[in-house]
Amino acid sequence: MRVSPAPLAVAVTGACSFLGKNLIGLLEEDERVGRIVTLDVERPSTAGRKTRVYDVDLTQPSAEERASEIFEAERVSTLVHLAFLASPTHATAWAHEFESVGTMHVLNACRRAHVDKLVLWSQTLLYGAHPTNPNFLSERHPLRARREDPFFADKIEAENEALRFGRPGKGRTVTVLRTAPILGPTVSNYVTQYLSRRVVTTILGFDPLMQFVHEADAVAAFKLAVVHDVPGVFNIVADGVLPLSTVVKLAGRIAVPLPRPLANPLVSALWMAHLSEAPPALLDYLQYLCVADGRLAGDVLGFSPVYTTREAVIDYASAQHLRDVKLLAENPA
Amino acid sequence: MRAIRFANEAMSKKSPKKKVRTRARATPRPVSPAKHAPRRPTRRSARDQEPEAEPESVDESELGIGSRMVPPEADYQEPSGPGSDHPPGAADEGDVEAQIRALEARLDGLMQGAGKSLRDDPVPRQTTPVVPPEQRASDDAAGDALRELMASDYYVKQWGRLGMRNRSEEVDEFGLDPSYEARLLPLLDFLYRRYFRVETIGLEHVPSEGRCLVVANHSGVLPLDGMMLRTAVRLEHPARRELRWLAEDFIYYLPFVGAAMNRVGAVRACQENAERLLEKGSLVAVFPEGVKGIGKLYRERYKLQRFGRGGFIRLALRTQTPVLPCAIIGAEEANPMLHRIEAFSKLLGVPYLPITPTFPALGPLGLVPAPTKWRIELGEPLHFEGYGPEAAEDHVLVGRLAERVRAGIQRLVDAGVARRQSVWLG
Repeated sequence: MRVSPAPLAVAVTGACSFLGKNLIGLLEEDERVGRIVTLDVERPSTAGRKTRVYDVDLTQPSAEERASEIFEAERVSTLVHLAFLASPTHATAWAHEFESVGTMHVLNACRRAHVDKLVLWSQTLLYGAHPTNPNFLSERHPLRARREDPFFADKIEAENEALRFGRPGKGRTVTVLRTAPILGPTVSNYVTQYLSRRVVTTILGFDPLMQFVHEADAVAAFKLAVVHDVPGVFNIVADGVLPLSTVVKLAGRIAVPLPRPLANPLVSALWMAHLSEAPPALLDYLQYLCVADGRLAGDVLGFSPVYTTREAVIDYASAQHLRDVKLLAENPA
Repeated sequence: MRAIRFANEAMSKKSPKKKVRTRARATPRPVSPAKHAPRRPTRRSARDQEPEAEPESVDESELGIGSRMVPPEADYQEPSGPGSDHPPGAADEGDVEAQIRALEARLDGLMQGAGKSLRDDPVPRQTTPVVPPEQRASDDAAGDALRELMASDYYVKQWGRLGMRNRSEEVDEFGLDPSYEARLLPLLDFLYRRYFRVETIGLEHVPSEGRCLVVANHSGVLPLDGMMLRTAVRLEHPARRELRWLAEDFIYYLPFVGAAMNRVGAVRACQENAERLLEKGSLVAVFPEGVKGIGKLYRERYKLQRFGRGGFIRLALRTQTPVLPCAIIGAEEANPMLHRIEAFSKLLGVPYLPITPTFPALGPLGLVPAPTKWRIELGEPLHFEGYGPEAAEDHVLVGRLAERVRAGIQRLVDAGVARRQSVWLG
């Protein structure tokens, strides 16, 4: 691990996402970072003195050209690629352009502009939930999420693309951070939407162990990866696990267990009617284990989570209670 | 961290208002029963996180979610509290009422939304119509009770309490839930002491600390042997060690069974899990016969099956762990399997469908094991430390050592079966 001496010029794609916004806020305050360049369709609310905002839509064919021009003009040394969807969407064709093709555009731009360091957001979700998973999945484990679902397929493609970009011998530093589902008072994704309902679906007879990471820890991990050069793939997870039933109870929700054969058509119907936060492929995660081993990130990256899984759930739940009774008007990011 | 900080600021903004509010409401005022009549003074007091300003409009069902985390208060009163028991406006009630008021005011001050300015409105904003006292008293008693029953809030709270009472807020990293297990302990102790009358020999070979791998023969339609082994170490070993056993994959495909077994200490059998457990210095039991072991027919009893691919030896070599051979006698007669049907295995998610004298003839009841006399015998520990961790890659050596351990356990089993006089009495 070596600390980069010169002030860094960091480009952030997906700057208006939860991670992007908060990471920019942290980097603004870090003196090791000289310049932040954001590529998104909007201006991130945390953009400050050091930030230069560029309007780039990664789904456009011209994105590659434009991104490489920006990288060259700003002499960007590090790219933080966060332009991924936190929750499943119905617009799968657009999502494919955004995540998979967008990553290709961005990486090609890096090749053209000689940006040699990449930090990529990935998720432990991509390991897939299987009854044959070990209790703690290491980074060497293959990504076995259901490829037929575009939500997973696009992210796996993007990650593979990034790993090809960082193949040894090219002198590039590629850090892939696979975060567990992010929970916290201000984040919004399919997990927070799932737990914000009064009544939540679970699978009858199954109670898998769940693992989360607190939003503050997740953002801190990205900052670590930006300011230190640590190539590799790391699981970013909180300590401890909780059974799903305990998570639901801690969040103060009522679990409705459905038999899996019944849950599948029901959730598909709800998903098609835009009444469910996730497609039926995510029901696997309510049935089987998908927990990652975070020891490598601790040993190599120096990441140590402040919140345990239980504390992350409770922190989320207390903010959600205030939102429930409309005492906290602010919508999550 | 801007967004997070915003949330904190939003919370801290409320502090000045709290003071104003407290001062405004804490001043002693003649108690007018009509003012607090429509509010339930009982459950409301410190628990409910509700702005006082709109007592009727807030959806009751949204409340009380976090109440589980609040320790139960001492001053809890029955639903038919002061509002109905005492004549309204009684003089001795004044003090209590004022205190409750002050407490509520403080809480409301804490919980009040940022948008409302209290300075402009020092008068309480409860605009309930004043009802004549005598009419109100009867209405109120019935209304209170009814509201209590109707409020989904109440049920949600009870549900939450019941739900959390039976579980720990934290489980260990492999999913063992101490309070879930604690509920099963009486049953396990009964099975161990009275039902199977387990006799355990050689527990002194189990080290008091440090990792150790217990290798045992497997049996039973219901895999009770792992649970009994765990109970034996818990009850009879001087150090009361915790033993984790590795269970076959297929139980994790099954509803209820997988989750329940996981909460009481079973861990899915795979190299990663075993290695992690041993690295922590745990006592781990493995049944290398695996599914073939549980699927043994009655006539094959006590004939040890192939020991997998010797994964447990590779594990012991790699982690430098001593191996403790173990024979479990009696378990193989508890559910004597006459035949196994493998045709529906894919459909049912189990490796085979057992046919025993009682199953499926008696339905699920037929799965109850017969009260045979059990005997658990642990042998001398085998040390493979001399080979070094790299020996785990030597397939010939692994095969030879696995066979050696298998033969050792077979000898223990044979000796135990020969010594036994009766299946039922030992």
